[in-house]
Amino acid sequence: MNLAMLKPGEHGKITKIGAIGQIKRRLMDMGVLVGEKVKVEKIAPLGDPIEVTIKNYNLSLRKKEAEGISVEVAK
Amino acid sequence: MRTQSTLDRAQSANNPPQSPLKLRGDKRGVTVAVAGNPNSGKSTLINAIAGTRLYVGNWPGVTVEKKSAMFEHEGRRIKLIDLPGTYSLSPYTQEEIIARDYLVKEKPDVIINVVDATNIERNLYLTVQLLELGIPLVIALNIYDEAEHMGYKINIKAMEEMLGVKVVPTVATKKSGLDELLKAATEVADNPSRYQPKQLNYGEDIESAAVSVQGHIRERYPSLNNKYPLRWLAFKLMEGDSHDMEEVSLNIDASFFEKATAHLKKAHGDDIESIMADERYALATGLTREVVKRPEVRKMQITEKIDRVVLNRFLGIPIFLAAMWVVFKLTFDISKPLGDWINDATAGPISRMAAKAITAVNGPLWIASLTTEGVIAGVGFVLAFVPVIFAMMFFITFLEGSGYMARAAFVMDRAMHSMGLHGKSFIPMLLGFGCNVPGIYATRTLENPRDKALTALLLPLMSCGARLPVYVVFIGAFFSAYAGTVLWSMYVMGIALAILMGVLFKRTLFRGESPMFIMELPPYRMPSFRSLMMHTWEKGKHFLIKAGTYIFAVSILVWFLLNLPWGVEHKKDSYLGKMGQIIAPALEPIGFGNWEAASSLVTGLIAKEIVIGSMAEIYAVEQEEEETTTVSEDLREMGTTFITAIGDSFRNVFATIGIASISAEEDAEQTGLKSVIQKKFTPLTAYAFMAFVLLYMPCVVVAFAMKHEFGGWKWFGVAFAYQMFLAWGVALLIYQGGRLLGIG
Repeated sequence: MNLAMLKPGEHGKITKIGAIGQIKRRLMDMGVLVGEKVKVEKIAPLGDPIEVTIKNYNLSLRKKEAEGISVEVAK
Repeated sequence: MRTQSTLDRAQSANNPPQSPLKLRGDKRGVTVAVAGNPNSGKSTLINAIAGTRLYVGNWPGVTVEKKSAMFEHEGRRIKLIDLPGTYSLSPYTQEEIIARDYLVKEKPDVIINVVDATNIERNLYLTVQLLELGIPLVIALNIYDEAEHMGYKINIKAMEEMLGVKVVPTVATKKSGLDELLKAATEVADNPSRYQPKQLNYGEDIESAAVSVQGHIRERYPSLNNKYPLRWLAFKLMEGDSHDMEEVSLNIDASFFEKATAHLKKAHGDDIESIMADERYALATGLTREVVKRPEVRKMQITEKIDRVVLNRFLGIPIFLAAMWVVFKLTFDISKPLGDWINDATAGPISRMAAKAITAVNGPLWIASLTTEGVIAGVGFVLAFVPVIFAMMFFITFLEGSGYMARAAFVMDRAMHSMGLHGKSFIPMLLGFGCNVPGIYATRTLENPRDKALTALLLPLMSCGARLPVYVVFIGAFFSAYAGTVLWSMYVMGIALAILMGVLFKRTLFRGESPMFIMELPPYRMPSFRSLMMHTWEKGKHFLIKAGTYIFAVSILVWFLLNLPWGVEHKKDSYLGKMGQIIAPALEPIGFGNWEAASSLVTGLIAKEIVIGSMAEIYAVEQEEEETTTVSEDLREMGTTFITAIGDSFRNVFATIGIASISAEEDAEQTGLKSVIQKKFTPLTAYAFMAFVLLYMPCVVVAFAMKHEFGGWKWFGVAFAYQMFLAWGVALLIYQGGRLLGIG
């Protein structure tokens, strides 16, 4: 299960960040960390990117990046 | 490598003004660096503190904007340096590298760290990294009113104790807390030993590795001891972030670092950079949990409510397009009466008065001609579209400050991505509509060089404010009945061709993966009017200075080209006319193969608005005799028309949405130029000409901006070649296609 598979309104908990190097550092700098809770808010009108809430703020990222973030669905 | 040379330049550029500052005995000057996240209200805070004393320049060697100010505060000289807004101090983006290099190399007396009180946790992540540097620090807990309103309770005392720094609540938009902030900053700067920031504990594994690395550095490279904060240096080396410090990486003992960090890597099962980032966030999270009490019931925020509509699946795109349309309409309608007034005033009363003054002192005829047709006409044409530029800058600044710009990037990313760009490319592109030059500079928000180059390459297709005067004159002459639509079509044409070229470039020059898109969607905020005006002024002023020098100089040059060789009787025989005659045949198939059009286009290579200025100059001979007026009549005319113009501007603000006020302005005085153009062009050739002006090569200032941003002429060369080809091709399609359809 990865972040791109969550539907708007669904919550998840990050289990692994697959990216490496600059992208990984950037994600971590923005608070995308293992163990963090994340909620998918919206999908952009054209289908990509997505908007998530993490660490109490709103972050947008492309599905391609979201696919590299493994999550487990939280209820 | 690049960083190293940047630093050297930064030092040599910054040292001279600093030394006298530091020699002031007990009334020592204080150097304050302001750091913070994007969207933390940092620039509003800087504007509120420094006001008009703010100086905007560039960081040496790079083109990232650098704001600084020197002023007295309670008898102290304060030097304020605004660092680029960053989320972190990683070694990847230009902004982050600039910020940390400044802090490490210049060692300011104190850092003001602007922290968004509504988003403490993520903001503290940067704070934690700033603390590693060991520089005294004061936190400006900004947007404090909003945090209170949202129900957050922040224990400032606890925060101060845990971090070992002073924390001052501020509301930059209301200018509150700023005096306290400056007072705290000077006090901290005066007693650095008392306000030494706490060294936060990164946990046993990291700390013990750091200690052994520090020992190693102290022993092997004693010269580095005083040069860098040692603990920070140890962290950076552990993170593998040493490539920025040439002197260290040259001597790095790889096997030692392997050994020192082996346990850390094994125990945490990750790369050190990630372990460190994790630990820093853990500290930020822990601190936040200790000092912030969140409200029990979370109210639905206004931002969520707005986004529900603005980012809606079906409404998102129409709203975006509508917003853009309103911005253009407003820009045009507000500025037009004022622009027209400046135009009329310089062409009429001011020129008449100047001519009278020169004849009164028996000045030769050519001086009168140079003054009115060269100098005054040149200045007039520059000033006439200053209102357009300022209005455009105002709205773009509003979009940025309000938070909508990020939504625009979010909504547009998919589309931008399909032409190989980043959603953020949209912002420079949008700026490009105001003026391509700031647009080119804004490409620096793109972290990836590939995104950046492609954006800059397509950007000149965005119809800038300098092209607007050309459209205005031609639309006024031929299409006043559907002015809005014709104008809109120019913008759409540029965008459509950018998409086409983007796809083409993506498949040719820019093959390969497109880089990441990870962007904050900040809460909507109403930008303060003051801050809005200041930003508009800063950006507008840049343009005005550029226009004032380049365009004015070119206007004079054009006058000489038109009037040389001495005693030339007809403009056609002047140097410019001869150039035009050579080029004209190439323009024949696209509908305006006459030397007048060709000559004006030549001058437009310097700046596109000059096309109109040159035309006015070239056609000046054919203008009818002016009526004789007295000086007092001239002055009165300027006064009354000015009042009318202001009135029209205000009326247009309210009339804009839905009401086409441009076409309603039939009473506006047509300048001589419009009637000449009506004789020389047909609607079809006029439209082809407008398209050509839209597309043919970027102006000289854009050329310099591109060279500056990319450190060479390569990308400008590509832009020049493809645009010339495109302009000719499109004009050909319009003209020949139109003739086939029986138009014109």
